[in-house]
Order: sequence, then C-alpha cells, then structure tokens
Amino acid sequence: MQFREAQLDNGLKIIAEVNPSAATLAAGFFVRTGSRDETPNVAGVSHFLEHMVFKGTARRSAAAVNLAFDEMGANYNAFTSEENTVYFASVLPEFQTDCMDLLCDILRPSLRQEDFDIEKGVILEEIAMYEDHPHFRLYDNLMRRHFDSHPLGNVILGSAESISNMARDDMQAYFDRRYSPTNVTLVGVGNLDFDAMVDQARRTCASWQRLEASRVAEPSRPVGSRGVITDAKLTRQNIGLMCQAPSGQDERRFAAQILANVLGDATGSRLYYALVESALADDAQMTYSPMDGEGALMTSVSTDPEKVAQVLGVIDEVFRKFIDEGPGEAELQAAKNKIASQATLSGELPMGRLTSVGFDWVYRSEYVPLARQIDVMFAVSADDVLTLAQQCNLPNATLLTLGPLEKLPA
Amino acid sequence: MSDNFHIEVFSNGLTLLGRVMDDMSSAAMSLLVRCGSADDPPAIAGAGAVAAEWLGRGAGQRDSRALNDALDSLGVQHSTNAQSEHMQITAAMLGRNLPAAIEIYADILTKPRLEDNTFGPCRELIQQDLIALEDEPARKAGMALRERFFPQPWGRCPYGRSETLEAMTAETLREHVVSHMSPDGGILALAGKFDWDAARDMLAERLGDWQGQARPEPAAARPAGGAEHIAKDSAQTHIALAWPSALCSSERYYAARLGEAVLSRGMGSRLFTEVREKRGLAYHVSANYTSLRNSAGIFVYAGTRPALAQQTLDVTLGEIARLGEGISDDELARAKTQIRSSLIMQSQSTSARASMMAGDWYHLGRLRSLAELSEKIQAVSKGDVMDYLREFPPRQFSILTIGPEPLDTTGLALSGEDA
Repeated sequence: MQFREAQLDNGLKIIAEVNPSAATLAAGFFVRTGSRDETPNVAGVSHFLEHMVFKGTARRSAAAVNLAFDEMGANYNAFTSEENTVYFASVLPEFQTDCMDLLCDILRPSLRQEDFDIEKGVILEEIAMYEDHPHFRLYDNLMRRHFDSHPLGNVILGSAESISNMARDDMQAYFDRRYSPTNVTLVGVGNLDFDAMVDQARRTCASWQRLEASRVAEPSRPVGSRGVITDAKLTRQNIGLMCQAPSGQDERRFAAQILANVLGDATGSRLYYALVESALADDAQMTYSPMDGEGALMTSVSTDPEKVAQVLGVIDEVFRKFIDEGPGEAELQAAKNKIASQATLSGELPMGRLTSVGFDWVYRSEYVPLARQIDVMFAVSADDVLTLAQQCNLPNATLLTLGPLEKLPA
Repeated sequence: MSDNFHIEVFSNGLTLLGRVMDDMSSAAMSLLVRCGSADDPPAIAGAGAVAAEWLGRGAGQRDSRALNDALDSLGVQHSTNAQSEHMQITAAMLGRNLPAAIEIYADILTKPRLEDNTFGPCRELIQQDLIALEDEPARKAGMALRERFFPQPWGRCPYGRSETLEAMTAETLREHVVSHMSPDGGILALAGKFDWDAARDMLAERLGDWQGQARPEPAAARPAGGAEHIAKDSAQTHIALAWPSALCSSERYYAARLGEAVLSRGMGSRLFTEVREKRGLAYHVSANYTSLRNSAGIFVYAGTRPALAQQTLDVTLGEIARLGEGISDDELARAKTQIRSSLIMQSQSTSARASMMAGDWYHLGRLRSLAELSEKIQAVSKGDVMDYLREFPPRQFSILTIGPEPLDTTGLALSGEDA
C-alpha cells in the first residue's frame, strides 16, 4: 500500500492509495460544494448539477457518457451532500485509461438546455420519491430546524418550486464558481498506475480555469427548539433529535464516533436496549456526521404515536445517565471492535476505501492508512467519551417529530 | 479467478462450505436453514419473522443481553432474517474472531432459549414492521407484488397479518421453530481469512450432534397473479410488475441474466434510457431477476408522479416488449463486460462470497467458481438470448400499483389470461 500525491499548476490535487494486489480500482472527483454553498434562488442546484454532469460534454452526448461507463463494466454513480459532491467509478485495472478519460471529461459538462429541461423532471420525481419516505422528510426538516438560518440547514434537493424556477444559466454560473480546480480533488485507490493517472489528468484538466471558490463559515448557533410536523396520513411517529458535535477537523471526532455507537448502534446499544429490545420502538439509532467546521449527532426513532411521551422520557433518561457515568469498559471495547470491523469490511472494497481516503483529504489534507486510523480510534478513553457527551449537551437537543400527532406531549 | 472450495457434509444433513481468502482481514458467514416464511403455519403467518427476532434473545448459558453483548464484543456485524425459503443468518467480522463467533452461533442454532418472557416484544416488533409498511409505499408495492407473483406460500409477506400475529403464542411459535429449524438440508458457508481445518473441526464438534429431520416442503398453490391497485394518497404512484423467467438452476439462466442486463443494468440500459434519460418520467426505474428454487421472475419497479404514471407504465411495457425484437451485438458485449466486472468486484467482499456460495449450493447442489460463471456468461450468444425470450416471453404479468389513481392495464397480458 503506497500513498501518492501530485498537484497540477491550476491547483487540482491528485491523491491515491495504490494497492497493486487489489483486483479492481476506484477513482473519483471530490468537489467541495453542496447545498450549504447555495443561495436561496438556486436551492438544490448542487444536486441538480450532479445529475447534469452525466448529461454530456463537448465531445460526448448524454447517451454516450452512459454507454462509455457501461462498456467498461463500471460500477459508477455520484452523490451530493450538504458540502460535498462526489463522482466515482470502480473498474477493472485494464480500464483505468478509459475510466480516467471519461471522469475527467464529464467534470466539464455542456449543460445543454434540452438535457436540462428533461432532467428537471427527474429531479422533481426524486423530490416526490422522498416525500413517500418519512425518514428522509424528518432528516431534511430536522436539519433545517437545528441549523436554522445557517446554510447547513439548506435542503439538498431544494424544493419543487426552486427546481421548477431554476434557469440553465444560473446553474452554469454556480458551476463556474464552485468547480474551480482549487476546489476539486481527484482520488484513486486500489490497483492503479498513479503516474499514468496524473499524466492523463494533466492532459484533460490542466485547462480548467482557476477561480476563487471560498465557503462562508460562520459558526452555527442551534437553540435546541422543539417542533411537530403533523401528517395524519402516516401511521408511525418518527422522532428526530439533533445536537452539536465535533467537526470533521476536530480530534474529538473519534470519541464522537464511539459515543454514537455506544448510545445508538442498531444491533446493540443503550438506546437499542432501552427502546427496541422492549419493543417501545421498532427502530432507534444514533449517527454522527462530521462536517466542515461543524458536526451533528442525530438520534432517530420510529414508534407508535401513543407511545411518544414514554419514548421521549426513556431517551432523556438514557442521555442523562450517560452524561453522569459515561461508557462502561465492556461497552467501550465493544463499540471500538464494531467500528474496527466495519472499517475493515468497507476498506476491503476499493469503493469503500475511496470515500474514506477522499474525505480524509478534503477535510484535513491528510492521508491516514486504515490501520493507523483504527489505532487512533482504539486510543480513545472512557473519559474522552464522557467529556464529549457532556459538551454535546445531549438532553437539550433540537427535537422534531413527524407523524399523526398534532402536538408534542407535555 | 480460480477457486479452492472446501465442502463437508455432516451426517445430520448440514453442509459446510468454505473458501479461504488469505489476502483479506475479514471473514463472513452465511447460514441458510429451513423455517423461512414459506414454512409459516397459516394460522400464525409471520412466524419466521418473529422467530428471527426471538433467536437472538438468549441461547445456552447466555440470556438475551449476554448473547448480544458477546457478539458486540467481537465486533460482529450480524443479522437474522426470515426469507421466503430459509431463515438466513449472516455475520461478518475480523477473521481472527470467527472461532469465537462460531461458538455463539452454535448455541443459537442448537440451544436457543425461546423463553416466554422474551416472546412478547419480538412479536410486537414485527407488528410494528407490518404497520410501518403503510408509510413506505415503495417497499409495500414490492412485497404485495411478490405475494401475487410467486406460488403460495412462497410469496407471502414475511410479517404475516395482524390477526395471525395476534393468534401467535410463545408456545405455538416455539413448537414451530423446534420442529422446522433443523440441520437437515441446512447450508453454512464461510469465506475470508480463517483456518478451514480448525473451523470444520469446531463446527463438527458443536453442530455434529444437532438433530432433526427436514419437514416436507409445503404444497405450492397457483399464484393469484393479475392486476391490483391499492389506493393511497401518496406523492408518487408506485408501479411494480413481474413476469416469469428461467430458474437459477436452468441452462437458460445465463441468457436470462444477459436479457435483464440489456433491459436494466447501467445507465445506458434500455429502461433507464427510455424512461429516465429521454423522458424524465422517473428517478427510480429498474428490473431485477429473482429466483426461488421453483419459481423465478423479472421484477420491475418505477416510482413516478401520478400525472405521469400511465405514460411511465406504457413506456416501460414498450421496452419490455421490444426486447423480444432482438438485441444488438454492442448491447450483448456491454452486458457481458458488466457482469464479468461485477463478479470480480463481488469477489473482493467476503460477505458477498459467502452468500453466493450458500445460494449456489441451495439452487444447484454445487459451487460455481468465478471462472465458470464468467465463461458461461461469455458463451451466451444473441441467439441464446432470443431463445430464452421465446421460452419466457413478457406475458403472464402480475402488476401491483399504489397511488391516488388506478392505471389502465387492459393492454397487458396478465397471468391467468393466456396460461
């Protein structure tokens, strides 16, 4: 396993974890942009643009892009979050050249009006699809409530209205601003020829124009409010809680990962034993999201509407007990072992390793071999986790529930 | 892509399969035993799903909490699910923890506690899962379609119905589990970094005297088929349809997978191109091949806003029908490369390997190496795909829609009409 890095004159960074014994390779462009970088008039443009990147370039039509990926048997896709847009593909080593050529090409899309108009319909379908998934609706609304006026509260997909009204030129302007090579990292992992990868990127990407692509980073000020969204059509009550947590740059992020596992791992955790084992809820989980200068711990629970008061009482009790005592030694070890297993299993697949290597670089400009990452995580003490739990102020989390209930129980 | 498989059949009928992968750090287990949803006694349908929860609530010396803690302390990623034909138990972990995990699973299989006091919450969780389906129309459409398409009892909803869950008692479920979950015909596949001899010896010792005979398979009843609309004030209309395909064990299987790939694998495939790329009718449209031992089908799903639903259905059916008119050399070549690549990608996952091995043994009674799979796919000609499509034409559809308005399905050759 070897780490390599390079940079083009226009600022584009290229990094790779080369593993000659892997059967495949994965490569991706990590663009440091997402819904937090949008203004209200183009809400959802980052994600819409992600779709448009697959719609063709000066030398390829939309159909030609899809066929080129399919011809090399690539496993490929893209995703957009609040602060990243990532385009990735995994292929056999024999397709490295073709794959790099295609990825580099599509990152300069033509954004043709006709494709733009058709794709608008697909985005509107995606928005409608999430409407039929209560968990996603809860997430979007909880983020908005928790981050309030901070741009991290922006909904990734935007709204049916913002998408319907969006003009092709607004997207082009956003693209020009945000897809500057200084804001993009090309990442490779697995069985790849790094020098060839850099040569190829130089040929295709050196002409990309360098622009200023900064990010407004005012700190968020969550106030821990409580709210209800009533939807009489739903049968279950979905509860979400969110509180501040260490950012993606904060050393305490390993403690936060352990904290979320001890409190809310799906197959065995404080919330699992308090809520799911007893069937008070059919699902109870806590996830940790490290972000750029910000972080969040989200608890999500699905329960019967009439049990909400009881469930909220149990959650509060679990949180308060935890900030008094912290984790026990056995549950701390179990959480670490689970995190290590998960990282190992995902790291065995180039696709799994790609996001890990890519985000280490995007957030901290560092490369950390998997084994060292696991060592650092194992060094976290019970006291570290306890201190963090107290700092996160779990019992005063922002609360939102979605379901048939008309108001929160007293 | 050569494979060195280990196979050991115990005298109690349990087959142990192994594939050592020394360059991995992880090991994975996939276990298939009877007691899936198709084995549910009709009066207590949902039995398998409740049992899947209950099996985790204590075994041998360990109570519910101790059992879960033991798996957690080893960092095991695990799940137990009632599928149609089996109870499926999967686990993945660091390879060095496999022996300790085997100890725990041996207890779960041979000495599950199945105590009265833990039964109630397990049943209640499945009752909640059943209710929660109402809030997830896409998932509900898929389950309701299986119920129409597959012969009963293989298509049935694993969660049962509210009255059958209500009728279930600790006693009736315990009797069902004890009589149905036996080593006979069971399959345990291991893949990853582990010592085969040590694992085999340990399993022989811990599971070798596990007793029980496989119950006869339930009798297959003709599927309901046809069309059904479930009215719901949802944001999208959810369209799910299926028609018969070649069994996983048949010689036509490889041609079937290539036909499926031309229709729906990758963003250049026909359904994606015509429904999404050219017309923007749906975000999600896909076709997936699914095979049970005695029945197989191609399952199509599309979610679309109600005003576009009829057009989406019509375009989708048009593409399905057009497959019978022939496929191009380019399409066939792309589909082959896609399947070959995905086989190699799956070979890097210990969990995927263990599941593939267990599936092969169940369907074929033998293991296929990746090389064999790759060769068989490579050998399929356009003529083979057309022969397959003539034998399994897109007819005898079952269709299930959920949304504000029913769709016009009069042009559809429904099952039961031309059989």
